[in-house]
Amino acid sequence: MILETARVLSTSGIGQLGTVLRIAAPEIAVQARAGQFAHVRPGLSFDPLLRRPYSFNRIDRRAGEIELIVKPLGSGGEWIASRREGDGLDLLGPLGSAFVIHRGTRNLLLVAGGTGIAPMRVLAEQEAPRRNVTLLMGGRSVAHLWPSDLLPPSVEYVTTTEDGSFGVRGRVTDAIGPLLGWADQLCACGPWPMLAALGRLRDAADRAASTYPGRATLLDTQIAVEQHMGCAMGVCRACVVVTAHGNARVCREGPVFPLGEVAFDEGEPATVGVIA
Amino acid sequence: MPWRRARRKVERPVDVSRSIEESLEEAAEGEEEEDLVELAELDGATIAEAATGEPDPDREPSDLAIKLQNALDAPHREPPRRGLESEAPHRGRLPQSAASVRETTRVKAAAPSESAHAAALPETGVDLEVEAARGLRLKNPVLTASGTFGQGVEYAELIDVSRLGAIVNKGTTPAARPGNPQYRIAETPSGILNSIGLENPGATEVARKYAKAWADLGVSVIVNVAGYSVDDYVYVVHELEGTPAVVAYELNISCPNVKGGMLFGCDPGLAAEVTRAVKAETDLPVIVKLTPNAPDVVAVARACEEAGADGLTAINTVLGMRIDTKRRRPILGTGSGGLSGPAIRPIAVHITYQVAQAVAIPIIGAGGVTNTDDALEFLMAGASAVQVGTATFADPLAPIKVIEGLAAYVGGHGLASIRDVIGVALPPTPEPDD
Ligand SMILES: Cc1cc2nc3c(=O)[nH]c(=O)nc-3n(C[C@H](O)[C@H](O)[C@H](O)COP(=O)(O)O)c2cc1C
Ligand code: FES
Repeated sequence: MILETARVLSTSGIGQLGTVLRIAAPEIAVQARAGQFAHVRPGLSFDPLLRRPYSFNRIDRRAGEIELIVKPLGSGGEWIASRREGDGLDLLGPLGSAFVIHRGTRNLLLVAGGTGIAPMRVLAEQEAPRRNVTLLMGGRSVAHLWPSDLLPPSVEYVTTTEDGSFGVRGRVTDAIGPLLGWADQLCACGPWPMLAALGRLRDAADRAASTYPGRATLLDTQIAVEQHMGCAMGVCRACVVVTAHGNARVCREGPVFPLGEVAFDEGEPATVGVIA
Repeated sequence: MPWRRARRKVERPVDVSRSIEESLEEAAEGEEEEDLVELAELDGATIAEAATGEPDPDREPSDLAIKLQNALDAPHREPPRRGLESEAPHRGRLPQSAASVRETTRVKAAAPSESAHAAALPETGVDLEVEAARGLRLKNPVLTASGTFGQGVEYAELIDVSRLGAIVNKGTTPAARPGNPQYRIAETPSGILNSIGLENPGATEVARKYAKAWADLGVSVIVNVAGYSVDDYVYVVHELEGTPAVVAYELNISCPNVKGGMLFGCDPGLAAEVTRAVKAETDLPVIVKLTPNAPDVVAVARACEEAGADGLTAINTVLGMRIDTKRRRPILGTGSGGLSGPAIRPIAVHITYQVAQAVAIPIIGAGGVTNTDDALEFLMAGASAVQVGTATFADPLAPIKVIEGLAAYVGGHGLASIRDVIGVALPPTPEPDD
């Protein structure tokens, strides 16, 4: 990974998703992969102190550019979201694990909830020339959806909104059914309750007969998760989630995990039991 | 624009033919009223958000103006320019010394070795050597703090860790510990709260896994020892004995004693007992890390010195708490946690200053060191070395910058060595000479 002083090239508000920063970060861009993130310093001082992790929302290796979706949340998020063209930005990245698309995948299903669109857009751009890609994206309202004209034209998409303002009323899991039989591979990113719901679908598929539509796809699903972070360098262990192999750091072993390995507890990440 | 795009033949849910623009406008209008109500309640960010900048899924942005502007300016009307601008990408980096720049350029930039480019380093030829604890001479007074630098191997991808005076590894207990429930970290003004819960793989595994890596990195390692009984501390030291890179032990006595629940570090008697037991187990220097949460930290310091401690680290984190006002409960999974970062620096400097007048053994200052001037504060208050901890999360180069800055300070002030500033701010009463 690299510590790079990048420069903001342009910014644009995307509805309620946040501000998209387009950033010249040639050294990071050349290494970055879908699912990985940049840890962004929110200012020059130590107040606010912690960097903020943002998943890559676009990676353009040739142009040496990346894009990040930044919600103006907290003083650090506000500072980062308020950067303007020409401003410098201190980035640490690329960090964490990436989605792995199988060679043999013909039909790729991407599932995005809210700002979980970020890595899904990278995958959509990267995979659209190679295979059939369908993006299932959900949000609270239409303003929480990624604009479809910023997706590659060959990518099919289906939208859901919780308030019914656009597409299917409900959540992505209410619309995923017909797509499961079609897809050979599924990648997802979104809030924990969405991932937990996918986990329940996977569990159901696991218990079902091998003829269950999309069973193999569900069993093989990869997800990117979020957790509060400190260092993002793997040293502080603030970001752990419980997995089949014990605690795993979202900043190192993650953020991309096999869905079947992540432990959920009532729609949230399962938590470590020991208190001392 | 339709709500879905389907060209391939896949079975899909029913169609809806409203355009995204229409729906968006509706949404923006509909939200206006609701927002005004919310704005009254949410003055600024929620705690969960402020903690990490992670979007709190339950919260709308607080600024109505930005919100509506965003909704109306959304780029499905005006797509942002794509990456074809002719403007050459900016290739600059953080302002930093030439040496740091070179090192941070690439991942795993050739295993850093002290000798390889020693001649080029800003600290070369400057006398930064200190006695960080009795019997522990370090080439410079800059260490990394336990729990903020892992096992040293992680940040080695960014900086040449062999330039550090030493590293202090993550708190090591006899057996592996899974640590505390989430959340484990929260941001505070100029600092952070943490409640990691000493997650570590256990002493045997630490020795097995990192002995070679430490040797390869050319780094001096101080093992941070933690436990819940005197035997725990002795066991950990026993397991690490003979590991070539290990140059000293730092006893983290901010742990509750299983017998009484009292923190070892809060009770002079318990602190002395642990110190004596560990001293009997090893010939390496033993440093005791003081907790500011002790009712009388100076008494603990004195007791440790009498029990044979070779040095003291001042300080560990300060107890603190944040409440998530939305969920109406503490943010941290354990409720309270340890405060660190610049927020605690004045407390740490003060304790260093007090303890320096009470003991003759060297002190390592810790608490909110972010730059050279912060480090000088501790040295002048009587510390012989400093640890950089939380600052590294914001600026991974901070420890290296402090080394370079201290070298520049010695040169710039015509000092013979960095030792000339140690304790210069202490009151002029002569130290007891023993
Ligand atoms: C995330 C985190 C984990 C820590 N873990 C340990 C630990 O395992 N053992 C210990 O003695 N101190 C631990 N500390 C305390 C630091 O070593 C240091 O004493 C304290 O943070 C003050 O220094 P700073 O403000 O420079 O961080 C930890 C601090 C942080 C922030
Ligand atoms: S954020 Fe520190 S270990 Fe992941």
